[in-house]
Amino acid sequence: MNSKRFSPTSSTIKSRFTRRFLRALLKINRQRTRTPSSPMEICQRYLKVKLAADVSMASAVGSRRAWSRAMLAKIRHGVRTGSMCSLTMMRKRKIYHRKKSTKEVGIVGNAKVLRKLVPGGEAMDTCSLLDETFHYIKCLSTQVKVMTRIADQICST
Amino acid sequence: MENEFFLNPALHFEPSSASIMPTWHSLSAAMEIQIQGTEQSQDCFFSPNTDQSVHFDSALSSMVSSPAASTNNVSNDSFVIRELIGKLGNIGNNSANNSCYSTPQNSPPKQLNLPMTDHLVKENLPSLGKSMPLNSSVAEFSADPGFAERAARFSRFGSRSFNGRPVQLGLNNTEFQKKPNLLMGNGNQNLPRVSSSPSLKENGSQTGAQENKNSSPLQDSQEESTISEQNPNGDSNYRKRKAASRGKKEPPSSSPSANATKVGEANDNSKAKRSKPNEDNGNGNDPVKAEDETQKSSADKTSTKPPEPPKDYIHVRARRGQATDSHSLAERVRREKISERMKLLQDLVPGCNKVTGKALMLDEIINYVQSLQRQVEFLSMKLASVNTRMDASMDSLFSKDIFQSNNNLPHPIFPLDSSASAFYGQQPQQNPALHSNLSNGTVTQCSVDPIDTALCQSLSMQLLPLNGFSGSVAQYPNFGEDDLQTIVQMGLGQNPSRETPLQPQSFHGSNQVPHMKVEQ
Repeated sequence: MNSKRFSPTSSTIKSRFTRRFLRALLKINRQRTRTPSSPMEICQRYLKVKLAADVSMASAVGSRRAWSRAMLAKIRHGVRTGSMCSLTMMRKRKIYHRKKSTKEVGIVGNAKVLRKLVPGGEAMDTCSLLDETFHYIKCLSTQVKVMTRIADQICST
Repeated sequence: MENEFFLNPALHFEPSSASIMPTWHSLSAAMEIQIQGTEQSQDCFFSPNTDQSVHFDSALSSMVSSPAASTNNVSNDSFVIRELIGKLGNIGNNSANNSCYSTPQNSPPKQLNLPMTDHLVKENLPSLGKSMPLNSSVAEFSADPGFAERAARFSRFGSRSFNGRPVQLGLNNTEFQKKPNLLMGNGNQNLPRVSSSPSLKENGSQTGAQENKNSSPLQDSQEESTISEQNPNGDSNYRKRKAASRGKKEPPSSSPSANATKVGEANDNSKAKRSKPNEDNGNGNDPVKAEDETQKSSADKTSTKPPEPPKDYIHVRARRGQATDSHSLAERVRREKISERMKLLQDLVPGCNKVTGKALMLDEIINYVQSLQRQVEFLSMKLASVNTRMDASMDSLFSKDIFQSNNNLPHPIFPLDSSASAFYGQQPQQNPALHSNLSNGTVTQCSVDPIDTALCQSLSMQLLPLNGFSGSVAQYPNFGEDDLQTIVQMGLGQNPSRETPLQPQSFHGSNQVPHMKVEQ
C-alpha cells in the first residue's frame, strides 16, 4: 500500500491509529457505490466508519489498557454472536431506559456514570477507573484530532 | 607536689567495686571538706607516702569531726556537692582539676563511714551519674576489661532510646517482636558517637597513666553530654533516663541501663505519632511494609529495628493526630491515590482548574468524555458522507501531512485539490451553491449533495445512528470478507432505539447497490 511509503518509523499511538483508520476508510470507500448513496447507505457507512475508528484506536493501543481490551472483546463478541441477538439487546435497553428514574449524586454516582462511558469500566475499582479514564481521554482526543484532520483534508477545496 | 601526693595513693588503691559506695561517701565528704577547708586541710594530705591509707584515715577522721562542729548547713553541703558535680562535668576542660578532684577519691580508706554526710551524699550521688563512681575507682575500672564495654553499652542504650524514634520502621502489625539481639545492632550505629570515648581513652593514655584514669570519667561524662547534644529530641527522654538511673544505687550498669532504656522507649512511644508524611505512595516499587503504630503497642514493639523483610507492602506511616489502625491507613492510601489521579485528570481536561471537589471534577470529566465521544461520531458521520466523493483521493490521504501531527490543519494539499476538482468534474450535477456554503466547522456542509446534506444534518443532529434500520439489518447478508461490515451490522443492532425520519422500507437491499440517484 502506498501508505507504507509515507508512514513514519516511529510508532506512536497516533500514527498507528491513523494508519489503521485510513486503511479502514479505504476499505469502506471501496464498498461504496459509484452513485451517490442513499441516506441509509450513508448511515451504514457512518456506523462502519465509527466502528473502524474504535477498532483502530483500540488495536493501536493494544492490550495494554483495560479499556482497549474491553472494547476489542465487546466487538469480537458482537461479531461472534451475530446479528440475531441484536433485537433482544435492543429490547433490554428499552427496559433499562425506563427504569432510569433515580439518580445517584456525588462521587459514587458520577463514578457509575463514568463506568458506563469508559469501556470496561464496570469491572474496575475507582482508582483504576480513573487511570483508565485518563488514558481513554488521551486516546479519544488524539482520535478526534486525527479524524478532524482527515475530514478537513478531504473536505477542503 | 600535690599531684604527686595524690597520685601515689592511687597506686596503692585497690578497692572492690562493692566497697566503693561507702567509700564514696567518705570521699565526697573528704572532697567537700577539702573544698571548704583552707590550706590547713590540704596539709593533712601532705603526709608522707608510706602508709597513706592509715594517714588518710586519721586525717579524714580528724577532718570529719571538724565539719560536725562546724556550722555547715545541710544545704551548704548539698550545694558544695553540686558544685563538685558541676566541676566534674567540666573535668575535660582542665586536667589539673581532674587530678585535684579525682585523686582524693583514689586514696580513700575503705572503712570510713561518715554518717554526717551520708544522706547528703546519697541523694546527690545519683545526680553525679556514672562519672563519679567511676572516678572513685578509676584505676580499677580502667583495669577492668568489662568496664569499657559496660560504659559503652550504657551509652549505647541511652542513645539508642534517642534513636529509637527515627528508626522505627518496617514493623508490621503482627510482627512486632522484641529482638534484643538488634539492640546491639542499634548500638553499633551509635558507635561513631561512642567511639569518642575509646579515642579519648587512647588520648588519655598518651599523656600519662594518671590522666588516663582521669580521662575515663571524662569520657563518660562527655559521652553523655555528646549524646544529649546530638539528640535534642531525646532530651526529655535523656532526663527521664537519668532520673531513672538516679533512683538506683549503682547496680551493675547493664540492668539500670536496660530499665532506663525501656522507660525511655515507653516515653518515646507515648509521643509516638510522627509528623513524617507518607512517602511511599508513589514508590510502589520499593519493597516496604504497612506499619501500624498504636500507643498501646509499647516499648516491646518499637524497641527493635528489624531489617525490613522483602515484602510487597506499601509502607505508610501514621500522621500526627490521625487514626492508626490498618483500615484507616489503607483507606488513606487509597484516597491519596484517587486524589493523585484526579489531579492528573484535572490537567488533562480543559477548564477544570477552577473546579474543586471530586464530585464536580467527575462531572466535568464525564462531560468531557461524552463530548469527545460525540465528536468522534460527528467526524465519522462526516467522513462517511464525505467518502461519497472521495473515491480516488484516498491515496492522497496517505500523505505525510496526516501522519505528521505537528502540521496545522489549513495546509492545502495539491493532490487533494486536483482530486477535488476531479470530483467536481465527475459530478456535474453537483450544486455549486453547496460549495459556497461550505464551512469546515460544520459537519453537515461538506461537498455533498443537498439531500445528503440534509441527511447528514438530520443524522448528526440526532447524534445517533438510525435505529429504524435495526429491523432490516438482519436481512442483510453478512460479508465475511470484511469484518468491519459485519461489525457495522452488529453496530446497527446495538444502537438504542430512536425514532428516525428515514423510512427503513425504502432501503431494502441497500447492499444490492440500488441505482438511486439522489439528485438536487
